[in-house]
Amino acid sequence: MSRSEQFMIENPFERVGATDHANDPIVRPTISFWSDVRRRLIANRVAMFGLICIILILILAIIVPELSSYSYMDQNLSNTNAAPSRDHFFGTDSLGRDLWVRVWVGARVSLAVGIFGSIIPSVIGIVIGGISGYFGGFIDTIIMRAVDIIICIPSMIYVILIMLVFGSGPIPLIIAFALTGWMGAARDVRGLILQLKEREFVLASKLLGASHLSLIFKHLVPNTLGIVVVGMTMSVPGAIFQEAYLSFIGLGISPPIPSWGQLANLGTAVFRIYPYQLLIPALLISITMLSFNLFGDGLRDALDPKLRS
Amino acid sequence: MSVIRFIVKRFIISIVTIFLLVTLSFFLLRTLPGNPFQTETLLTVEMQEKMMSYYGLDKPLFEQYLTYMQNLLQGDLGYSIKYRNRTVNEIIATSFPVSADLGLRALAVALPIGLFLGVLSARKRGKLTDYLCVLLSVIGVSIPSFILGSFLQYIFALKLQILPMAQWQTEWHTILPTIALALSLLAILTRVMRASMLEVMSQDYVKTAKAKGLSEGKIVRRHQIRNASIPILTMLGPMVTSVLMGTFVVEKIFALPGLGQHFINSITGLDYTVTLGLTVFFGIFMVFANFLVDIAYGIVDPRIRLMK
Amino acid sequence: MKETLLEVKQFKFSFDTYAGEVQAVRNISFHVKEGETLAIVGESGSGKSVAVQNVMKLIPSPPGRIIQGQIIYQGEDITHYTDRQMEQLRGKELSMIFQDPMTSLNPTMKIGDQIIEGIRNHEPIPRADAVKKAIKLLTEVGIPDPKDSLSRYPHTFSGGMRQRVMIAIALACNPKILIADEPTTALDVTTQTQILELMNDLKEKHGTSIVMITHDLGVVAKMADRIAVMYAGKIVETGTVEEIFYQPKHPYTWGLLQSIPKVSSKRMGKLETIPGTPPDLIAPPKGCGFASRCKFCMNICKEVEPESVSISASQSAKCWLLDERAPRVEREHEEVKKYS
Repeated sequence: MSRSEQFMIENPFERVGATDHANDPIVRPTISFWSDVRRRLIANRVAMFGLICIILILILAIIVPELSSYSYMDQNLSNTNAAPSRDHFFGTDSLGRDLWVRVWVGARVSLAVGIFGSIIPSVIGIVIGGISGYFGGFIDTIIMRAVDIIICIPSMIYVILIMLVFGSGPIPLIIAFALTGWMGAARDVRGLILQLKEREFVLASKLLGASHLSLIFKHLVPNTLGIVVVGMTMSVPGAIFQEAYLSFIGLGISPPIPSWGQLANLGTAVFRIYPYQLLIPALLISITMLSFNLFGDGLRDALDPKLRS
Repeated sequence: MSVIRFIVKRFIISIVTIFLLVTLSFFLLRTLPGNPFQTETLLTVEMQEKMMSYYGLDKPLFEQYLTYMQNLLQGDLGYSIKYRNRTVNEIIATSFPVSADLGLRALAVALPIGLFLGVLSARKRGKLTDYLCVLLSVIGVSIPSFILGSFLQYIFALKLQILPMAQWQTEWHTILPTIALALSLLAILTRVMRASMLEVMSQDYVKTAKAKGLSEGKIVRRHQIRNASIPILTMLGPMVTSVLMGTFVVEKIFALPGLGQHFINSITGLDYTVTLGLTVFFGIFMVFANFLVDIAYGIVDPRIRLMK
Repeated sequence: MKETLLEVKQFKFSFDTYAGEVQAVRNISFHVKEGETLAIVGESGSGKSVAVQNVMKLIPSPPGRIIQGQIIYQGEDITHYTDRQMEQLRGKELSMIFQDPMTSLNPTMKIGDQIIEGIRNHEPIPRADAVKKAIKLLTEVGIPDPKDSLSRYPHTFSGGMRQRVMIAIALACNPKILIADEPTTALDVTTQTQILELMNDLKEKHGTSIVMITHDLGVVAKMADRIAVMYAGKIVETGTVEEIFYQPKHPYTWGLLQSIPKVSSKRMGKLETIPGTPPDLIAPPKGCGFASRCKFCMNICKEVEPESVSISASQSAKCWLLDERAPRVEREHEEVKKYS
């Protein structure tokens, strides 16, 4: 019973009492949710790689067409199907148009369609799903029945029909996406709102007399933002793919405006002889889709702790 | 019984969906500007009008609609304006088997491999195998089938010359189109199955199963894979859609005599009656596929029946 | 004297996490005798679940890792049993029921199949016999219409009924030890009582030993023969129910007993709590784990870990207050009435 001596403690049996009095101590400094997400996202190298690729492609799409001495329409019939060279980084197509410029003009179109084609339907979905989930009852039943029915029909059929009616081009494409792509987001947001509605903090602000609008936009929508942002990011590659797909079957973007899908379409016609004309737009489509997928995955993982709770 | 009520409910929703789809497609396509004979430069305006009346296109729209619906109820999807004396039903009868064959082959390749890789990846979480599977699936979803198809064609048919370039004749002809169509499916399946397995593996009932003394293999087979497959079922509906959509472009690339070819040609050739007929056919097909999937889902997961 | 069935000796178990090694169980020893109920009590995060789930090796490794110690079942060291060997024990010799009956049953499997699966895993009997046995088990645990219930899915049962099914599954092969990891925490109070009574009845009938994990001293009083109090990965005090309730020696046990709500209390005042939070088990304090929250903390408590001091043949505690040089302290409140 003399273990205490060997540690040389002064007055080992002097009473000092409890030192931890707090009942709810703050164990670590509060970090806001979004800065926590940012930290996790930045730590995710794969996601950062995706983000850097996206930014790079965006920058090139913005500056290349402005700086280049060629335009996407300039034909040069004396220099058709030229292989990539110093004058034409990506070569020329069957009409002698510079592919480097056409690819980056095409990037503008494809990215615009991809990004707006996923943001706009998501926003529509948030509004409809939010209303449906928040008000519930009759409105909810009607909206959700409609969604049940509309969602049964593959959106591509609608998109094709709408494209046939409106004609081809980036704006009709985005309209078509907007009209056909909101149901998923609406369902997700509605589900979330239904869960959140039951939470105490919503009840609390309700008791404090918050209005419908402030409840929806101050408490409910911000809490669904995570899932919605992930959904949006993940649907960008889908929209880019759909644009490419539709242009490939001759419905998306029609000449002379280039888009990646359309360049790929033109490329397939000659790729047996000039494979680079397909390879370049194809690689860009794939890299962009990959980057958005990687970034979206990272974003989802960064938001995960919340998604799981 | 709740199962029967559930089926009836889904069936009614499906019927309503098909009705709306047909109506919408009909009016959208019929209100398109111009008439299908405009492009045929050989026809005079007078002859165009004659053709219009021959095909009943000059009657009031609503009357046309009623006629169309009547015919549809008897299974008649209409006729082609471009290819005289060919009906949409004939086109479907000759070319749908090719598309279905291609689609089923792709599913037969993608489903087992995708599910296997998903399970493998989840069970080896954080190991090299897992990373490889994840990499494959991310790349797979990022390469559109028409691009993959073109490159497969370039590499295996043109350069290596070990597989046929196009057409649909022998088993060898089916390999490249099947791969082109299957890869993205496989990738999505791997991804979803992995996520689903990870979810199931962390569930309490897996611990219960382990506490019963079941071997690892039995737990994986009886409890994990079974339950993890349920979300896959919900994917089958959309997957049938994406397979069908995929067949369009793959058929185009490999010059396969499938339905997608006809669909694309009808769009580019402004053969609206065929476009309409095929749209309706695809629509009904997919709604029906979704209906079956829903039913299967309801049967496999007893909780769903109560929820809906 | 009854035979000792299970003995855990100087057991240490850690989890390897990104933040570092979490020392969930820090050198604990306990034993379970034939036919008795041992309750392991402690607040969340004290390592009690980890301690018992390890007996059945239910914690995947990695991230879990045995650092040292032995688990001895019926005289045999099972610490390093292979998966195959453990499978022979799980469900047959040792069984377990879990906290949340809502999630512990497979939602897509009929409960009959979930019971039969366990039976046939250990006994090579025809399915028809297994079905008969399952009906008998369901009757025993008080499920109405046992025969029809076999083909029902878990979601059609209430929480209490599901926990009964879990008990049926656990008892299917007459295990010698039933480990119950907070079996009533997720249930409402009346159901809790029913489940506890059921467990007591079955224990009497089959002579099963029970290891009960709980943070509810009310449950302990109803069920246990002996109690082990866990704090921060260690057993700080152990003894019979009477000893722990009437002559507790460790200040943490005092705190636990005082935080039982007492209807009969003269002062209908605030519910007593133990201020503070348990220590971080990534970097556990070198002295007594409870020191920072202990009213009677002395200098030495923060520096040197107290050794186990035997109070009686069955009771021992780890506290410097039991040292002869320590000042005498008394529990401040009245003796707690036996709670039941």
